[in-house]
Amino acid sequence: MDIEAQKAWSDRGWPDLAVWRARAETPSLAREQPYLDTLPALITGTLLVLAASGLVLAVYYNPWAPYASVQFIKREVNSGWLIQSFHQSGTTMLFGAVYLLLFRGILLRLYKGSGEFVWLGTVALASVLLLTGWLGYMLSGGAVAGASLRQATLSAETWPGLPGLLASWFFGGPHGPGTLARLAVLHAVLGVAVFALVLLLRTARKAMLPAPGAHPVTFHPYYTAQYFVAFTIFALIFALFAFFAPHFGDNPLNAAPANPLIMPINPTPPWFLAPLSAIRVVLPGDAGGVIAVLAMLGLLFALPWLDRSSAPAHRSGFLYRLLVVVLALDVIALGFAAACRPSVTAVILQIVFALWYFFHFLVLTPLVTALEAK
Amino acid sequence: MAGTSEPTDAGLTSEHDVGSRRDFLTILTVAAGAVGIAATVWPFIDALAPNADRNAVAHPVIDVAGIQENTGITVMWAGQPIYIRRLTKQQIADSQNVVPDSLPDPASYSERTKPGYGDIVVVVGLNTAAPCLLLGNEPSEPRGPLDGWISACDGSVYDPLGRVRRGPASRNLAIPPFTFLDKAQIQLG
Amino acid sequence: MRRLLLTALLASPLLASFVPAQAETTLSPPHFPSQSLLGGYDLATVQRGFLVYQTVCASCHSLNALHYRDLEAIGFTAEQAGGIAALANEKPTSLEDRFKSPHVTSSAFSGATPPDLSNLAAERPNGPLYIYHLLTGYAATPAGTTLLPGHFYDSGFPGGQIAMPPPLKGHDVAYADGVTTSLPQEAADVSTFLAWAADPNLDARRQVGVRAVLFLIFLCLLALATKRRIWSETV
Repeated sequence: MDIEAQKAWSDRGWPDLAVWRARAETPSLAREQPYLDTLPALITGTLLVLAASGLVLAVYYNPWAPYASVQFIKREVNSGWLIQSFHQSGTTMLFGAVYLLLFRGILLRLYKGSGEFVWLGTVALASVLLLTGWLGYMLSGGAVAGASLRQATLSAETWPGLPGLLASWFFGGPHGPGTLARLAVLHAVLGVAVFALVLLLRTARKAMLPAPGAHPVTFHPYYTAQYFVAFTIFALIFALFAFFAPHFGDNPLNAAPANPLIMPINPTPPWFLAPLSAIRVVLPGDAGGVIAVLAMLGLLFALPWLDRSSAPAHRSGFLYRLLVVVLALDVIALGFAAACRPSVTAVILQIVFALWYFFHFLVLTPLVTALEAK
Repeated sequence: MAGTSEPTDAGLTSEHDVGSRRDFLTILTVAAGAVGIAATVWPFIDALAPNADRNAVAHPVIDVAGIQENTGITVMWAGQPIYIRRLTKQQIADSQNVVPDSLPDPASYSERTKPGYGDIVVVVGLNTAAPCLLLGNEPSEPRGPLDGWISACDGSVYDPLGRVRRGPASRNLAIPPFTFLDKAQIQLG
Repeated sequence: MRRLLLTALLASPLLASFVPAQAETTLSPPHFPSQSLLGGYDLATVQRGFLVYQTVCASCHSLNALHYRDLEAIGFTAEQAGGIAALANEKPTSLEDRFKSPHVTSSAFSGATPPDLSNLAAERPNGPLYIYHLLTGYAATPAGTTLLPGHFYDSGFPGGQIAMPPPLKGHDVAYADGVTTSLPQEAADVSTFLAWAADPNLDARRQVGVRAVLFLIFLCLLALATKRRIWSETV
């Protein structure tokens, strides 16, 4: 069978193939698209690596003896230490890319116009990934993760009304032997369900593509080559983390087994959860903490409407961009403040940085964008 | 991408016009990328392979130096009881004197023992007819008329080499795969 | 047989490496190569540290995550590891068994159960250095400090008061390779051993890592060159 007959056969069986081939062979893409546009693809690739390493980990993980099973993976399983390192460094790379994507979106105002849907989807993706990351952290069975889980399940039992019902349903009761088993299933399910969101965003992102311009090009080989470069650089950074800094952003106390009788001195979460952990100080109590985190993410969802300027994406004034950079520094500072030893200064700093975060979105963004629109 | 109907935009060049240098570069890059992907995939496959722990369970080492003559030990392996017994000289002589063809399941002495370690018998301690345990390994259990093993449920009689002599059973006791590491140690599997 | 094994145990550091004995009587500051970016474990040091653990620490501290067969990774042969297992346990032990766990009740140490040491070096930032300072920090109680009952003053322990009596006094063991068994030396050796116990795959990880990073740098340059060449064909 020659190649034309093969193509005709596959097109008849699966008509999408013909559509995709036509799209691939028609030059439709603008030139000079920046490397950072490859971030969504890099995130997808990282999610694939996380899913694969997670699958291997799941074969050996035992939610009824979590610490022992993680030790087994690291010490007894062939290349188990490498798989675990891939999973942990993969998480670091994933959240680095996601935070970079969010930062870029806020800086360039990519949530405007046709990019609004993609922005909402991206924030949803980030939120789901943060929840998945927290669940994965709980699964490690370490001292700090155990303290965090105990706190969460116990406070969930005390909430009144509907939130209490939902929280109790989520955890299946106070912390006990079966809690990690259900969280492990949730972690895996969310990790796979995220791919649906990724596919959704992939199609939605087509609406954001710039106009092809005078000399459009095909995806292959031009952008295939560019994506290859991006993947290789990303893999290089990933390798540096996985092999030379496998415990980046991890609290060393988490290497000890969970013990309900001992409260860790410094219960810092992993780096990607640190800003969320810090923002909890704004409102009192455990319930207040959850509301603060939800508000933090909610403001990101509301950004297209908080931005009062009607200027299209990629256009913003100097003051707005400066404020966004300050916001990024503020979030980083929030993370560091959470990582400090608990002290009065640390808490005051956390409150200051957290209030600036809310101030930026609720006050500064509408004001500055309205001003610059004129 | 076959050249069916290539748009002839001014900015596009077909891959075939280019000098061989880019083809070599592209091939080298793709090949290197493939090597990288293979090297990354390998640990995932290796991690699912049996590890040292499983190997220890799959191939346990049993110490047989402590087994006295005419006594046996029972070891659980692969979900089955394995009977290891040390024979007396009389039992060895009697076994060698039996004509193999006269047995329900012909087997000679040399087929049932390992050369050089002729006084150790290793068999799976399950009756080959009606499924039940064999009696005769514990000192308190009856051994049957031939001082070997006897089946508790259907009365099949086995000799000290594990060959069936009488009874509903018609096949000798199974021999598990094993090797002698030295005079004192057997590795199963 | 036991004496033979004990001699074998003590002589094995000599067999393991040809590094001449470094008479390190002063270790300020102690150097842990594994804590640097590309360093690894010196097997002779790890073996000496294991001897210190087995002689001094194993009576109270368990090392649950390790099996006796793991000792083959620090230069012992299978027979030597089997001999160590036999020496340490009364009942017959195989290489597949975990390290013997001493049965110590918390009442023996004012309520503080001696923790398992398998991951201790990973549980603190700069773990090996922390362990070293803890072991060498025992000193006379400074004026004005009241010790809790059953506790000892240790400058290397957070809070300064530790329930563990000073475990090392210097010359607690005899190294076969002639290294002086001063207290700082023993402390540094056992800290290196515990660093290995917490992260036995460090050497493999860095070895594979160097190759991976070099390969990826090469691949990056290749990919960049290919991309530039492909894009240069367009006007």
